[in-house]
Amino acid sequence: MPITMNRGAFAHAGSSLAFKTGTWRSAKPVHVHATAPCHGACPAGEDQQAWLALLQEGKPQKAWEQLVTTNPLPAITGRVCPHPCESACNRGHLDQPIAIHGIERWLGDEAIRNNWSYPRRGGEIRAERVAIVGAGPAGLSAAYHLTQRKYNVVLFDSLPEPGGLLRSAIPPTRLPRAVIDAEIGRLLRTGIEFRPRTALGRDVTLDELRSEFDAVFLGVGAGKSRHWDVDGAVPADLHEGLALLREWLAVGALPKPNAVVIHGGGNTAVDLARVMRRAGIRDVHVVTASGLPGPDTDADDVLNVVPRELEQAIEEGVQFHPHRTINRLIMRGSKVVGVEMVRLKKLPDGSGRKSRVSFEGTETVLHVDMVVPAIGEVVDATGLEYILRQRDFLSVDMFGRIGGQPGLFAGGDARDRLKAYPNGTVSAAIGDGRRAAEGIDALLSRRDPVEENRPPLPYASLNLSYYESSPRIDLPTLPLEQRNDSAEIEGGPNSAQAMAEAQRCFSCGNCLACDNCWTLCPDNAVLKTSEMAKDGSHYLFDYEYCKGCGLCAKECPCGFISMQAEE
Amino acid sequence: MTQANNDPRARQPRFRGLEAGHRACQGCGEALAARLVTESAGPDVILTNATGCLEVFTTPWPQSAWRVPWLHSLFENSAAIASGVEAALKAQGRRSKVIAMGGDGGTFDIGFQALSGMLERMHNVLYVCYDNEAYMNTGIQRSGSTPHAAMTTTSPPGKERMGKRHLKKDLLSIIAAHHIPYAASASVAYPQDLRRKVRRAMEIDGPTFLLVHSPCPLGWGHDGSETIQVARLAVQTGLFPLVELERGEVASVMPLRQKVPVTEYLKLQGRFRHLFVDSDHRAREEREHLQALADYNMERYGLFGDGDDPFDADGADTVRRGGPARA
Repeated sequence: MPITMNRGAFAHAGSSLAFKTGTWRSAKPVHVHATAPCHGACPAGEDQQAWLALLQEGKPQKAWEQLVTTNPLPAITGRVCPHPCESACNRGHLDQPIAIHGIERWLGDEAIRNNWSYPRRGGEIRAERVAIVGAGPAGLSAAYHLTQRKYNVVLFDSLPEPGGLLRSAIPPTRLPRAVIDAEIGRLLRTGIEFRPRTALGRDVTLDELRSEFDAVFLGVGAGKSRHWDVDGAVPADLHEGLALLREWLAVGALPKPNAVVIHGGGNTAVDLARVMRRAGIRDVHVVTASGLPGPDTDADDVLNVVPRELEQAIEEGVQFHPHRTINRLIMRGSKVVGVEMVRLKKLPDGSGRKSRVSFEGTETVLHVDMVVPAIGEVVDATGLEYILRQRDFLSVDMFGRIGGQPGLFAGGDARDRLKAYPNGTVSAAIGDGRRAAEGIDALLSRRDPVEENRPPLPYASLNLSYYESSPRIDLPTLPLEQRNDSAEIEGGPNSAQAMAEAQRCFSCGNCLACDNCWTLCPDNAVLKTSEMAKDGSHYLFDYEYCKGCGLCAKECPCGFISMQAEE
Repeated sequence: MTQANNDPRARQPRFRGLEAGHRACQGCGEALAARLVTESAGPDVILTNATGCLEVFTTPWPQSAWRVPWLHSLFENSAAIASGVEAALKAQGRRSKVIAMGGDGGTFDIGFQALSGMLERMHNVLYVCYDNEAYMNTGIQRSGSTPHAAMTTTSPPGKERMGKRHLKKDLLSIIAAHHIPYAASASVAYPQDLRRKVRRAMEIDGPTFLLVHSPCPLGWGHDGSETIQVARLAVQTGLFPLVELERGEVASVMPLRQKVPVTEYLKLQGRFRHLFVDSDHRAREEREHLQALADYNMERYGLFGDGDDPFDADGADTVRRGGPARA
């Protein structure tokens, strides 16, 4: 209203809206959708915050659809992933991290139960054909993401059934076969041509694939056990850990020594130890150079297994010998009667690199009649000789591109470790498959590949005053006496538990629509809208009036508002 | 001014009694408090305002940030004017609610007798005191509300004194002694609670009183972004308990969840900076004194409760997706 003076010489007041206090500002609030720590830590690249938010809104199917935009196998990863997302979860600062793996598993199981299908992505149908070698997690993920992008995908595997190590190396007590069948079945039904019993180097050569297809992805895994001996000595009846586990999974056969020592600190070692212990072997020892989780152990020196699996193994009576190695085999003829262990630790040497140092005078003897090495696996070179060139793993970049080999991609356990992308887990293989699909799509579309890159959320930008303490759900575990070789040991949450657990999410870096900024702005400079703005919130800053006090940024519970200096 | 329908400001799902464009400092607690009070009270009100920051920053001639009828006369007579307006409305048979407003200077000290008279005569008026604990408008002089040991321009710390020598006047107890239907303390850090208390007072036919703790970044010496954090700590430490009194009796208190030492509150503010000078033995003494005052409040009002669950969610404005956890 314009100010009007009447003849009495007083004014009808004009609105203060004519006075733009925004000119006072030296910094302005902006919405920043930062990366939640769970998302940043996820090897598969899932945005857990995004799908937990949909669960908070009471939309499980939408949450699952969000989840499978990155990871098509959530019922599987919810069971076997060591969930670095939970270790990174900011909720741990207040009480305990969200049980993300439990919710993921529940969503995956709900999808199977209700027969949900993958959301269809738009886009043009592509004429190009892509070959994928290996139907393990990496290959399946690459196949899924390429099919979503409308490519013609042919998936090769040497075995009769898809799944790779999910089927051949993970016991059903951790991952029931029905879950594998359901998730992989659904994935293959998206239009992927699966050619089983086709081995690279035996039934088809790499060059044939490269000439027939526009791109080739190698998700061949690491199927060959690393060479193992102790000062050149090897027992005559040596069995490798992975081979034993595979044989047991395939035909149920297992050697029955009185006492066994398994050398190694990965999932193969621990899974095999538990299987042997349940088969009635009295003494099952695991000797590992890594440490058990504890206050004295560095995070990078801990046994590389899912923490709860380790607890269960100890419960079941597996005896762990951390920070030790086998120094000497005690043989009678060509038969093992014991091993000599020695303590060791990974310590930095003169150049600062860590190497293993064993400590003289700490030798002890274990009386066993069998030694099983499970010290890791390398790529089986068959059919890959000219790519692998005597090395153990394939060298790739973050989009799976093999240097100097255009059109050839790799991922999963078959590749070298990349610093920013550690591998060796199912989730990492799924992430590899997804990024390789982007690499392949970029190559065939003649563009540069892109990976989402949002800034990480500093913990200090959360405001914990607005969150209530609430305990993490307890997930059921099968009691010791009921555990056998087939029943799943871990249980999942029920619907009520999963939905309640999702409510514990802080929504790090993303708007909660809590109204705090709108309620607390002293200057009425935050406006609420019914439409969802582009930045994902329902709030607008009115920069004509915002004085830049920063109160909204401070009181935003989830760190969605940052102050940016004015130019 | 008629605003276009597509202007989001015209379509806010709340009543805007105090509009943007006012001249309050960055992060002003009082501006926020007044906005929250007017939006909960709704449009059918007449406001009277004592002299003070609120009066000055909302109405620089020829503009006004108020979107409801508003009167200002003098420093000392907000309650007297409200009494007159209420009597006039009554004579006309109109039922608009009158809200009298003032700062702590205009309420605890200068306008106190007018306030006492208004309460005693049982006028149907809600009196809201925005308590920022000093005369901020005139340059941060001590008032009856300034807490013990706080620095103001008229209670500087030095050889003789460690800030204000005297205690914060227990105004709420004086108000309670008038035996009025409803009096309460509230804080800008707990907007849900503040809104509820305004609505409660609005529906009572008779004199009601609300004391709203409203930090002043300039006078208290903290960053404008920390207004809510400071106000929240005042409540959490027990220095500013949130209570409701009916007919002079304590009817409810906002329970505290855990004990927070007063130093957490003090150290954020420049007005208590002298209490953190290690070489001065009086600093420690005064910190302990303030802690003892907080402990006294906790005991007096039973802030930790002895009910079923004092650690429940009542203690905070917690949020969940889509809004506050308790609407």
